[in-house]
Amino acid sequence: MDPQPHILVVDDDREIRDLLSKFLERQGMRVTAARDTKDARRLWPLGRYHLVVLDLMLPGESGLDFARWLRGQDDVPIVMLTAMSEETDRIVGLELGADDYLAKPFNPRELLARIRAVLRRTSAEGGGQKEPPAKAIRFAGWTLEPARRRLLSPEGVEVPLTGGEYELLQVLVERPNRVLTRDMLMDLLHNRQAGPFDRAIDVAVSRLRRKLEDDGRNPSLIKTVRGGGYVLAATVDRA
Amino acid sequence: MSASQADAGWQGTAVAPPSVRRWRFWPRSLAGRTALVLLLGLTLVQGLGLLIHALDRVDLQKFAQAREIAGRSFAAWRTVVLAPPDRRAAMLADIDLPQGLLASLDETPAVPLNAAPPPLTVMRLFRLEQLATAGPRGFRPQEARFAVLGPPGNFAASLRLPDGPWLNLRVRLPPPRPWHSETFLIAFAVMTLAAAALTLWAVRRLTLPVRALAEAADRLGRGVNAPPLPETGPAEVATAAHAFNTMAERIRRFVSDRTQMLAAISHDLRTPITRLRLRAEFMEDEEQRRKMLADLDEMEAMITATLAFARDDAAAEPSVPLDLAALCRTVLDEAADARPEAAEHVAYAGPEHLTVQARPTALKRALANLVGNALTYGGAARLTLARPEGSGRPVRLAVEDDGPGIPATELESVFQPFRRLEVSRNRETGGTGLGLPIARNILRAHGGDVVLRNRLGGGLAAVVTLPG
Repeated sequence: MDPQPHILVVDDDREIRDLLSKFLERQGMRVTAARDTKDARRLWPLGRYHLVVLDLMLPGESGLDFARWLRGQDDVPIVMLTAMSEETDRIVGLELGADDYLAKPFNPRELLARIRAVLRRTSAEGGGQKEPPAKAIRFAGWTLEPARRRLLSPEGVEVPLTGGEYELLQVLVERPNRVLTRDMLMDLLHNRQAGPFDRAIDVAVSRLRRKLEDDGRNPSLIKTVRGGGYVLAATVDRA
Repeated sequence: MSASQADAGWQGTAVAPPSVRRWRFWPRSLAGRTALVLLLGLTLVQGLGLLIHALDRVDLQKFAQAREIAGRSFAAWRTVVLAPPDRRAAMLADIDLPQGLLASLDETPAVPLNAAPPPLTVMRLFRLEQLATAGPRGFRPQEARFAVLGPPGNFAASLRLPDGPWLNLRVRLPPPRPWHSETFLIAFAVMTLAAAALTLWAVRRLTLPVRALAEAADRLGRGVNAPPLPETGPAEVATAAHAFNTMAERIRRFVSDRTQMLAAISHDLRTPITRLRLRAEFMEDEEQRRKMLADLDEMEAMITATLAFARDDAAAEPSVPLDLAALCRTVLDEAADARPEAAEHVAYAGPEHLTVQARPTALKRALANLVGNALTYGGAARLTLARPEGSGRPVRLAVEDDGPGIPATELESVFQPFRRLEVSRNRETGGTGLGLPIARNILRAHGGDVVLRNRLGGGLAAVVTLPG
């Protein structure tokens, strides 16, 4: 990871812009702030940014349009700030390829954790080599829709998942037929969960198996690997 | 839907709306009542018309018969008086006499001397005076006697020929026959049936808009964005539809104004809360910082709940097939993850999978509110899910806790927005007073409901029904 990542913050509220810049700078980041998309476009060629924090509710051109433009420029990761419960904005944003989102009013530490997780992921993937976001991921008859964060059974029935279960499943389907140790899983799961991680992962796996109708004693979909790891045994089809 | 109806639905007994049936045959629908009244009126008018027609016919018949009898009587007298005495009987027999008139030549009069004459109306109707004085002198009856004979209206006349014998005329009118024409009766029946059919058709057609109005009002009750009524048809119907649409439009505007206002307030509050959260990060006092962040979290939760209640998000979300069993377990798992200390008091009992048609986010919020309440106020959340007992029967779901329950009088009132019990206010449990109203709104929007009841062994149960 870059020792001092450069973040572009786009938010129309001056106070938030200043406070957020100060907060992120205190966490060892370099921050450039823009008050609207016009300002952001002006600032874009002037620096090399590692990540953009983008408020979707902006005066003038909307954040979504700017995100679309940004996608055309570079594979810079985007963390979106959406209005509370604006489901459609969130879905469109994630379909556009935003890497994460947070609802306003956000918790600054949560934002920091997400920014770090996204930066870690993009640097691990070599940066710029990102796959376009999948609309639907199919495996063993099941369908995972990342933008809507939902799982559909082979019969087309929506099967609700907890946040932890969803993230675990997404990590597994993105790496099918690869053994993932608990440590790897913990890393990939953004370290978001509190509590004893080992146990949390085992619990999430057993809950997931139950929901995926995968027999816990003789699992065929999420297999346990001796020595402490899991593997998704299925052909995965991205659309 | 009232709570009593919800209870009835839960127990599976259909309860008819309360109504006092005064008359057994009084129809319930407007169309039925209007048709019945119109048909009764039609029957009455037709009956009276038929009676008037019959009476008129009887009168006419009587008049025609009387005229014919008078004329023939005169002809009989003339024949007899002009004929030679030895041929009188034969010539009288040759005359074609109408029904009801008998003529005979006798030595004695049929009417006794000094008998009371028939009433003047009969005398005039049958022109009896003229019969007594008709013809040239020398051909008039030597003597004429008239008398009532038999039932009223019947009479006899005795006319004495110049040379002695009597011509006795007995009039016995046949009973009146008002229904002599079959075609008339058939035509009458056809007319009546046609009028009745027309009445029924017209009434049904005219009351159709009333039903449409009732259905539209029902739709509006379920969702403010129901399509408007067509403003067509008769003037009154079009006016009513227009008035209804105007009312619906006003309600829509009111709701959208209120929604926009709440959205604006919450949007405007979002910025200061975000700023405060950021400022809190620069606070030196760790304890104060933690408390401030907790306050901000509470504020945000209240705004989120108010917004969810006001915007009625459930209406906007599409309904999809959903695994309710998985949803229940998800809600319980998330509640247990959020409060690890209460995790052992969270339990699920029910099928592994149960598909229903529902709005996932909204239904999850409703169940999360019920489970959250059970954990907060009752220290436990045991969820039982039961498959419907048959097709068309509801899915049943109950969330039970180990708390003290709530007074029976409050079981229903806690579903009112911002209603909180004293225990909840006094305790440091927070709460917006919107959890239960939101849950009920969402479940009712699904065609189900939720009620609370105190369990026999203690504790409270939130009982949910959902269409299966």
